[in-house]
Amino acid sequence: MPRPEQKEIQFTIDGREVRAIEGAMLVDAAKHGDVEIPFFCYEPKLGNPVGACRMCLVEIEGIPKLQTSCSTPVKDGMVVHTQTDRVHAAQNAVVEFLLVNHPLDCPVCDKGGECPLQDITFGWGRGRSRFIEPKRHFVKPLSLSPLVAIDRERCILCYRCVRFSQEVAEDYQLIFAERGAHTYVSTFDGHPYVAPFSGNIIELCPVGALTSKPYRFRARPWDIEGAGGICTLCPSQCNVQFTVRDETVMRVLARENDEVDDGWLCDKGRFAYQSIHVDERIAAPLVRDGGELREVSWERALSVAAGLARHRGRVGALVGGQATNEEGFLLQSLMRQGLESPDIDSRGRASVPLELGRALAAPSLQAAVPDLEFAHTVLVLGCEPLDDAPILDLRIRKGVRRRGVNLAIASARPSALDANAKLSLRYPPGTEAAFLAELAAALAGPPSSGDISALAKLLLEGGEDVVILWGERVAADALPTLLRIAERLGLSGRAGAGLLEVPSGANGRGLREAGVLPGVGPGYAPAPAGRSAAQIAAAAADGRLTALYLFQTDPVRELPDRALWEAALHRAALVVAHASVLTEGIREHAAVVFPAESHAEKEGTVVHPDGRLQRLRGAIGHPNQVRAGWSVLAEISARVGHDQGVLTSPMAWEQLVAAVPFYAGLTLQEIGGRGVRWPDRAQAAQMPAGSAPSAPAPPGGSASSAPVAGAPANGGLRLGSYRPIWASPEVEISPALKFTICRQHVELSPQDAARLGIDHGEAVEVSQLDGSSAAYSGEAGSQARGKLEGTRVHGTAAVRSGVPQGTAFLADGIAQDSANELTEAVVEVRKP
Amino acid sequence: MSYNPGEDVIEVVRGPAPGAAAGAYRAFGETLRGLKTTFARIVEGPTTIQYPEEKTPVYPRFRGRHKLHRFEDTGLEKCVGCSLCAAACPADCIRVVAAENTPVNRVSAGERYAAVYEINLSRCIFCGYCEVACPFDAITMGHDYEMSDYTRSDLIFTKEMLLAEPIERTPLRSEGE
Repeated sequence: MPRPEQKEIQFTIDGREVRAIEGAMLVDAAKHGDVEIPFFCYEPKLGNPVGACRMCLVEIEGIPKLQTSCSTPVKDGMVVHTQTDRVHAAQNAVVEFLLVNHPLDCPVCDKGGECPLQDITFGWGRGRSRFIEPKRHFVKPLSLSPLVAIDRERCILCYRCVRFSQEVAEDYQLIFAERGAHTYVSTFDGHPYVAPFSGNIIELCPVGALTSKPYRFRARPWDIEGAGGICTLCPSQCNVQFTVRDETVMRVLARENDEVDDGWLCDKGRFAYQSIHVDERIAAPLVRDGGELREVSWERALSVAAGLARHRGRVGALVGGQATNEEGFLLQSLMRQGLESPDIDSRGRASVPLELGRALAAPSLQAAVPDLEFAHTVLVLGCEPLDDAPILDLRIRKGVRRRGVNLAIASARPSALDANAKLSLRYPPGTEAAFLAELAAALAGPPSSGDISALAKLLLEGGEDVVILWGERVAADALPTLLRIAERLGLSGRAGAGLLEVPSGANGRGLREAGVLPGVGPGYAPAPAGRSAAQIAAAAADGRLTALYLFQTDPVRELPDRALWEAALHRAALVVAHASVLTEGIREHAAVVFPAESHAEKEGTVVHPDGRLQRLRGAIGHPNQVRAGWSVLAEISARVGHDQGVLTSPMAWEQLVAAVPFYAGLTLQEIGGRGVRWPDRAQAAQMPAGSAPSAPAPPGGSASSAPVAGAPANGGLRLGSYRPIWASPEVEISPALKFTICRQHVELSPQDAARLGIDHGEAVEVSQLDGSSAAYSGEAGSQARGKLEGTRVHGTAAVRSGVPQGTAFLADGIAQDSANELTEAVVEVRKP
Repeated sequence: MSYNPGEDVIEVVRGPAPGAAAGAYRAFGETLRGLKTTFARIVEGPTTIQYPEEKTPVYPRFRGRHKLHRFEDTGLEKCVGCSLCAAACPADCIRVVAAENTPVNRVSAGERYAAVYEINLSRCIFCGYCEVACPFDAITMGHDYEMSDYTRSDLIFTKEMLLAEPIERTPLRSEGE
C-alpha cells in the first residue's frame, strides 16, 4: 500500500502565513507558525481525535462558534485566531472547570513538575478560581492493577487511557463508569487491569491520575536525568529512556521512534528494569569451590576461565540474545582463533546452513517495521507477536484498524491477533514444511476451495505489498519453501514488502551478522564448519566437548531437551558463564560465573530484526563489581594467548565494521539515537548472495511431515510449545512483576478436555508417549523408555477454544515444569 | 640599548616644597583628628561582646539554621517530601527521598512523607528560598548561627536533627533595638 501522499497548503494563524500539510490537525499545523495551542486529550498515536477536553478551542473565520483545533483538519486559506478575547475567555473557563474537582495536591502528586495540567493552568489559566463549593471526593489512592495506581479525584476525563485500551491494545478492559461529575475510569468488571501493555496508560495520562506503582514517590523531575537506551529484553528492541537518580534506574519511559516502536512499550520493558537493582542479581564474579559458587576476586575468576586454553579445540559456546554485536564478535574470534573451536551458536532451535541463511537475510528481501502498517497483506507465520515481539503486535493491530491491512495468520497455536485476522489457519506443531509446501502449490496452481487456497488467494490478490512475519520457531526444513513463496509473490526488491524474521533472542539478527553461527563467520562469510546448539549438547554429553562457554544464556532453561543439556553441563569439565541471574543450569553446573551487564549499563550495538543497527549506551555505571562484557571477553582472549587488542567498546566496533562488508563505513555517530537500517545503505550490496537449496522437498512427500488432522492414533496429544512474554529471568526477579511469574499452563482444546475429563484450571500431569514403539526394543530401548516415562511435567489445564483438537500447548522458558523437559512429539495429558 | 619611551612620556609638575609649619601640620594633623574620636569614645566605656559567653542578638527575620516542623495537635510531620525546597535551592544542598505513608506507619499528613531529608549546611548559603518554596510551611529558617563542627560530614543535618527542638542559644533583638 503506498504511503499517503502529503500535499502542502497555506493558511493564516494569528496573522502569520504558514505552510502545513493538508489534512493535518490544526493543533499540529499551528506549530509551523510557532503558535502553541494547549491540549490534554489530543494524541495522534491513539488514532482519531475525540475533542474531549475542550482545551484547544480556537477561532476560525467563517465559523461562528469556537472550534476544537485538535479535531479540525487544516484547509487551504483558513484564517485562524488563537489570541482573541473569546479564545482567552474560553481557555480560562476550561481550566477553571477542569480544576473545579481537581484536588490540587501537587506537592504529593507524582506528576508534579512534569504535569501538562500544571503547565497549562500556569500558561493559560486565570490564576484564580471562583468556586468555593466543596470538591467531589473519591477513595484514593486505589490500585488499578498491581502496576498502576489510580487517583480518581485528579482525573480530568480526557479519554486517553480508555482509548488506548479500546483502540490500541484492544484489550477492551478500561471504560468510564457512571456519568457526569461522578464519572471515573475503571475496568468493566472491577477486576485489576492486567494486560501486557498496561503501563502505557501511565505515560499517556496528562495528569497524575494514573501513576506507576514501582515509581511511586521515588523521585521528582528535577532530581532525575534521562538517558536514552535500547531495551534488549525481546527482539522488538524498543527505544527507551531510563530515568536515573543517584546511579539507579528509577523508571523506563518510551523514546518515540516511529521506525521501531511507535512510542509504546510493553510492561516487561517498562518494569523489568527493577532486575538491575535487586539482591538476586549477580554482582561479583563467582567460582565453584567445593561444590558451591562463592564470590571471588576478578583475578581469580579470570584465571579459572583462562583454563579454557587447556580445552583447546574442545570448547562449545552458546550466545544469548542480550549479547551485543561487539560481544558476539569478540566471542566468536576467541572461539575460532583463540581456542580453535568452531562450535559456536546463537540460534538455539533450528540450524540454518550458510547459503540459506544468506538468502533469508538478503537485504532486498527485508521488510521494515513500518511496512507492517502500510502493507496490503501481512502474513504472520509460526510466531505469536504478543509473546515473541510484543510491540509488533500493536503495530499489526494499528495496520488492521487504521489502514485496513489484510491480516492472515498461519500458526500452530491460536494467536491473540486471530480476532483481527481475515484468515487464521492452524497446522500441527512442527509441520511448517508441509504447510508451506501446500501453500506454495496453491500459489502456483489453479484456484480451488479450502483454507490454504483462500490464503493463497488473499496473498495473490490482496495487493502487491505482502509482508511475511515469521518466527524462529518455523522449522528449518520449511525455510527453502518460504523463500520460494517470497519469490512467487515478488517480494524481493520491492519497497514496502518482504520478510521480517522475529528471532528468539533480542539481538538474534546482529549475532548472526557478527558471525555467531556454526560455519558462518562475520558478515556471513564462510567459516570452518562447527556444531550447532543441539550438536554441542550431544557432543558435550558424550565427552567430545569438554568445556562450554555460556554467554548470557542458560540452555537448561531456554533450549529444547532439558535432560540432554543437563547431562552436557554436568559432564563438561569447565563451564564458563556470563549471567545476571542464577538460573538452574548456571547455579548447578557453572564453574565460573561472570556478572553480566544489564541493558542499562551496556555499551555497544544491536541489530533490530528489520536490520536497524541501534546503539546501547551506558545509562548508569556498573554496580558493585560488574564489568563490561567486551572487556571480560578481551581479557580472557588475551589470557588464552589471542590478544585482540581491544581496549574500549568502540575499538571492538571498529573491528566488527572491518570484518562485516555490509557495515562498511558505518560509524557510531551515524547510528546515533535513532539507528541506521543497513539494508537501506548502498553498502548492503556487499552482502554475499545466498541461494535456497535447489531441490525443494516434494510437497507432502514424507509421511511424518504431512499435516495430520485430528488426534494422533495412540490417544495422545501432539505437543506444541510457546514462550510466554513473561518467561524471562529478569521478570522473575523484578519485585513489581512477581505477579506475572509463569507457571505451566497446559492449553487444551475443549474437545480434548471433555474427552479426558479435565476442567479448566485443574491440575494436570503431562507425560510422554513414544512416537514409534519399534525404536524402543531391546535392553537399551527399555532403558530409554523408562526414562521417557519418568519425565512428568505438572501444570494447570487451560481450556482454550481456539486450540485445534489433538494438540496440547505447553510453555517453555520457565523455571519449573517447562515444556523443554519433554522431547517426544506426542504426549499424554491426564489428571495426576 | 636603552629603552626609549618616545612621546608617551608625561612630565610630572611638582609644586614648591612646603615650609616648617605646613610640614608639621601634614605630619600630625590627621593623627590628632583620629585621636579626638578615640578619646571621645573612651568615656562611653568598652562595647566588646564576650562572644562564646555572650551572643550577638539577631533580628526576628534572621536566616539561621533550618527547622522542620510538626503539627502541634497530631504530632505528624508537616513535610510531605515534595522536594520543592530541593528544586528551589540554588546551592543544591537539600536532598529529599520520599516514601509512602501506610496506615501502620503514618509519618505525615499527606500520602507521602520524606523518608530522607538532608541539608548539607556546609553548602547552604542561607538564602531562605526553601522556606519560600515550601507549600506546607514545613521548613523555616531558625535563628541559630552556631553550626561550626570538626568534620564536614557532621554538617549534613538529617531529618531527625532538623525536627528536634533546637536549644535556643541565640538572643533575639528586641523591637527598635
